[in-house]
Amino acid sequence: MLFGKTTEQPAPSDVSGRASFYVLKDAWAGLSSADRAKDPPNLASLQQDLSGQNCSDELHGTLGTLKVLRQRILANIVLDGWTEWSICILIGLIIAGAVSAKLAGVLILAAVLLVIGVAVIFTWIWRTRLSTYETACRLDAAAGLQDRVSTAIYLCDAKDSDGIVQQQRHDAILRLAKVDPRGLFPVQAPAAASHALVLVLVFGGLFVYRINHRAPLVALLQTTARSSLVQSIFSPIVHAMEKDLERTIALVTLKPDPQADEVRPGEALPTADDLWQPAEEKKPDMKDAMPQDMMNQDEDQEGKPEGQGNPNAMPPADQQPQQGNNGQPQQGNSKQSDSQGSQQSLTQKMMDALKNMMSDPKNKQNSKDGQQQNQQNAPQQGGNPPPGSQESDKKGDSKGSSDQKQNASKSAGSGAGSQKGTNEMLKEQAARPVNATPDRVALEATGFKEQTRMRVDTETGTARMAVKDGSAQTEAVINGAEQENIPARYRLYVQRYFEHTDSGSKSSSEPH
Amino acid sequence: MSTSVGTEGQKSNQPLGQQAEFLAEKMGEVRREISKAIVGQGEVVDGVLMALLAGGHVLLEGAPGLGKTMLVRTLAQAVALKYSRIQFTPDLMPADVIGTSMVQEGGDGRHILGFQPGPVFTNLLLADEINRATPKTQSALLEAMQEKQVTVAHTSHQLDEPFFVMATQNPLEMEGTYPLPEAQLDRFLFKLRVPFPGREDLNDILDRTTQGTTVQVRPVVNGPQIMDMRQVVRTVPVAPHVQEYVVKLTLATHPEGRENLLASKYIRYGSSPRGAQTLILGGKVRALLAGRFNVSLEDIRALLLPALRHRIILNFEAQADGRTTDDLLEEIAGKIS
Repeated sequence: MLFGKTTEQPAPSDVSGRASFYVLKDAWAGLSSADRAKDPPNLASLQQDLSGQNCSDELHGTLGTLKVLRQRILANIVLDGWTEWSICILIGLIIAGAVSAKLAGVLILAAVLLVIGVAVIFTWIWRTRLSTYETACRLDAAAGLQDRVSTAIYLCDAKDSDGIVQQQRHDAILRLAKVDPRGLFPVQAPAAASHALVLVLVFGGLFVYRINHRAPLVALLQTTARSSLVQSIFSPIVHAMEKDLERTIALVTLKPDPQADEVRPGEALPTADDLWQPAEEKKPDMKDAMPQDMMNQDEDQEGKPEGQGNPNAMPPADQQPQQGNNGQPQQGNSKQSDSQGSQQSLTQKMMDALKNMMSDPKNKQNSKDGQQQNQQNAPQQGGNPPPGSQESDKKGDSKGSSDQKQNASKSAGSGAGSQKGTNEMLKEQAARPVNATPDRVALEATGFKEQTRMRVDTETGTARMAVKDGSAQTEAVINGAEQENIPARYRLYVQRYFEHTDSGSKSSSEPH
Repeated sequence: MSTSVGTEGQKSNQPLGQQAEFLAEKMGEVRREISKAIVGQGEVVDGVLMALLAGGHVLLEGAPGLGKTMLVRTLAQAVALKYSRIQFTPDLMPADVIGTSMVQEGGDGRHILGFQPGPVFTNLLLADEINRATPKTQSALLEAMQEKQVTVAHTSHQLDEPFFVMATQNPLEMEGTYPLPEAQLDRFLFKLRVPFPGREDLNDILDRTTQGTTVQVRPVVNGPQIMDMRQVVRTVPVAPHVQEYVVKLTLATHPEGRENLLASKYIRYGSSPRGAQTLILGGKVRALLAGRFNVSLEDIRALLLPALRHRIILNFEAQADGRTTDDLLEEIAGKIS
């Protein structure tokens, strides 16, 4: 036996190569004894490995033949196992080469795995190698010897006192001489050799490709991800997920304020425009939850004199159109906010301005006239502009007389009047009562039913669209914030629709 | 019974190897002698000879007129053994089979109670249509078949060796019959089905039986030689993997095994250990008759049906599905490597 002798047990502290060898040897012996214990007693003889010393002299030739056959069978098993393991390694290499950016590391890992696999295969095959008896059984089955050789091998060391064993031995040797055992067990190529060859060629081609290119699968995925089709498919999902996430974060982080929904005395009811404003701007109590930089920005705009604000502070996005139309749009608002309180936000100021504007249509007309006058007067004043007026035009701050402030406040309400049809919309809107919506109505990205709750925005309208609820309101205005709520796959159609509508209205408004 | 063979005890001193060769040679001669009277039925003749050499009994099942009784009579002539026949009927009593105690007159004129042996005291017993007798009468053969003795009036009487029972039953006329109990079925080494002869065999039967020619069967072996052959048979070696195959086959017929899905579905009772013994012993005889000195897996597979088909009891589901024991055994054997 290979590990049959007793071994010296090393001390626990003696950790050396020899000690490790002994540990491995003991583990091997334990596994061997465990396997033997599992075998039934009558099958223990099936796995005997005959050395030929105790066998009859007549069977030495047969044992030599069986030894050669066993080597061939083991060679075939090794080839099969090695080929299958190589196929696994090659498949892994091909996948890694198509995905991974670092091919050198993958190659080193594959080489290590290949060596380990070969070692494991050799160990396993040596561990479960065929015995001479099992080889004889295979030879009987392959040559049709009707278990003559296996019986003779099994009885090779039997004392033939009766003579029938001798007869059986002669019969087995005689029949074995009539067949060609080595021809029955040739060393042949594994069945999966062709597959392995194909994989080798594929990996070779991939390796050559990877010398000058990056991972093809990654490039393909990136190209696919950049395609408009994939983006149109995934962007609504991502957008909706982001909104849900933001809403969830806001619900979790914000403190519940029971007085938030109450309408305080002296405070204006929330108008329909609140539906389209961000949560930070609508609820004054939520100002505490706003980022510090935004609060500072508001404070700068409110506390500092006009024209002396931080030049880096950008105005809110909804104020930019007003600045383009009117050079002093914020003056009236700032004064009004100073009179109401220093803590009121800019959004509330604009809300108040809008409310005043919508409640008094005549003032709108006056403000429109005043705006026209201002526009007419502006070139006249261009030669001698007031100090700081140019800076205020550039920075969006306002500084001027009370008339100008009043005009600016009026012009802020009619900022959308530059668009065609806005005046008509304003008239219609003024004729209707504006019902305040106490609760915030969330506009889902994919819920088109929610669009029936849209109110007419007379301030920043850039286009109009018909809505389902035609009885209450026939048109809705799509601004930049609402476009975010339109799914990406419909934006193109909506844009085309509005362009078509816009061009149609232009053509209809033009005098023939 | 005359024994004109003249070889009694001559081969007993020879080595077993030579006796094995002698057995194969003599059985070949017996087969040829039987073939003079029996046309075809080669498998049945081989089964009967194997059972004779293995020391078992044979249950022949076949339609009337297929030569079952003729086979038994011819075999008795070929092996030079005493032969008797019992026609089993519903009114047959056990005493009619094994014998009874009777008041007999001695030589001195006194009357004594003596045992009158029945027809079971013979070497070759033909129990014709055994399933027509009552179970009580059928059971009278149990002790004789297994113990080779009968007990009457608290006295056991040994039967002559070799004792070989060949029973026949008709599978067609089942009304008024008493199917053999499992205990008695298990005592038959083989259950052989006698097939209907083929075209050529039927022509040959007509030629031999309708032209007034008589067939003389020559005795080849005698009782003591058969007993010696039985000893030789038991010396044939069996490789471990062959024996393991027999064990697997036997266990696979039991429905209790978790892996025996087929048996658990269709089989109510599996084979007894006598089935495994039958496979091994029959395999040894078959190997010797084939000129081999070892049992092979092929021998076991060839004897699977005659050795186990009467030891397996199917359940109702198998009968409802039309499954037979032969089908199930072949399917079970196909799943065992």
